[in-house]
Amino acid sequence: MLALDIRNLNKKYPNFELRDVSFQLEKGYIMGFIGANGAGKTTTIKSMLNLIQADSGEVRILGKKMAEHETELKQEIGFAFGGIDFYTRSKIKTLTDVIKKFYKNWNDDTYSTYLRRFKLDENKKIAELSAGMKVKYNLAIALSHGAKVLILDEPTSGLDPVARDDLLDIFQSLVLDGEVSILFSTHITSDLEKCADFITFVDNGKIVNSSDKEHFRETYRLLNGKESDLHQVKDKLISYKVNSFGFTGLIHAGDFDPALDIRATIPSLEEIMIFFAKKEETYV
Amino acid sequence: MFFLFPLLMGALMLIPGWIYFIVLLYFCWITVPNIFYGFRSQNDLMFTAMMPVSKKDMVKARISVIVILELLHIVIAMLYGLITTRLYTNIDYYFFKPSPGFWGLCFVMLAIFNLTLIPMYYKTAYKFGSALIVSITSAMLFAVAAQWLGIQNTKMSEIFNVTVGDHMALHSSILIAGIAIFIAFTWIAYRMAFKRFLKVEIQ
Repeated sequence: MLALDIRNLNKKYPNFELRDVSFQLEKGYIMGFIGANGAGKTTTIKSMLNLIQADSGEVRILGKKMAEHETELKQEIGFAFGGIDFYTRSKIKTLTDVIKKFYKNWNDDTYSTYLRRFKLDENKKIAELSAGMKVKYNLAIALSHGAKVLILDEPTSGLDPVARDDLLDIFQSLVLDGEVSILFSTHITSDLEKCADFITFVDNGKIVNSSDKEHFRETYRLLNGKESDLHQVKDKLISYKVNSFGFTGLIHAGDFDPALDIRATIPSLEEIMIFFAKKEETYV
Repeated sequence: MFFLFPLLMGALMLIPGWIYFIVLLYFCWITVPNIFYGFRSQNDLMFTAMMPVSKKDMVKARISVIVILELLHIVIAMLYGLITTRLYTNIDYYFFKPSPGFWGLCFVMLAIFNLTLIPMYYKTAYKFGSALIVSITSAMLFAVAAQWLGIQNTKMSEIFNVTVGDHMALHSSILIAGIAIFIAFTWIAYRMAFKRFLKVEIQ
């Protein structure tokens, strides 16, 4: 069963456009949604959640159309938006008491279990929580109302490496029983190397690739060669950099002829992101 | 705090012979900007949008808060008005005396306030400055016009300030008409607000 099924999402702004965004996430997996700042991650997520109105396209969550079952589906979705705070002067306890009234399946026992597990003190004010703790609080809320899909926008941005690693471990433990699915956007690619099963890469409002992590990386080759060899592959490269040692460039695996005397390796996610961003610069 | 405010502001009705429209205008001047500022600074729009509530209910909830507070203000002011009229029996009213007809005019004033404030606010559901200026100005213009007429027109002044008891039927019908206008205008405001809110991008 698909936890998320996004098809042909379009949204036009005066200076930015989301074009035909489509991707699917199977239930019980973690999908990393990567892209540079301003690539369209948050716009996609907000369109999915009906916070902004897409011009066209269809969003299905747990098999149901978001446009028609928004209220019902929000019972099953948990959110965490990095950098957005609500009622920061209120205590966790006060805020939770308001929130829990909205959810049919709220479970107080689950909530206290997660508070203990995440070491959250109910008497603290939201403003007193660190960035990592805020994400954990959002997770505790989401899991206590039985959310099956977690949509997290940049949950790890601004966290120190220890807090990030801790959070990624939590994500992995949440999907273990196959009930919960997670989509999280990030520009920190090392997070995805650690815990994502699938990667969806958005660049300049378009989905470049959406597939499982290994397959995603194997779609590309990172070429390292002498500057004199560059002309052999130049036209096929997504983008390249030249320095005193030669050139480094990214190419689609299918476009690369292994017979050439150019060293080809499988790129890291970060390298893929960087070379795609560079491609944009070339066209500007 | 906002629920205590009607009790405090309503007490201004005890000032003898005052311009009693002002008592309700305090709601527009103080309570509404504070509530809206609270919504904005606490990121309430995003918070509510995350909850499993329909957009219709989101609009309904905010408008209900305003309407409930308005009704509290007006009903409590009415009660204080009853005390005032019994307390000061020998006053010559220059401005409107608290009477059913006057309260009818107050309902119309709040109706105009709602009809301008709510739809304008829901263009963004976030910015409230211009909506507040326009709605307060409209409500005050109505109050000034009504009060001016009440002073200039001798017959109107008589009916509203001197011979209230002799014109109970007229007073009651003004009150009923005022309430009807309040309900109608607020309903229209809600419909317009909801339509506009559907197009709002929650950032």
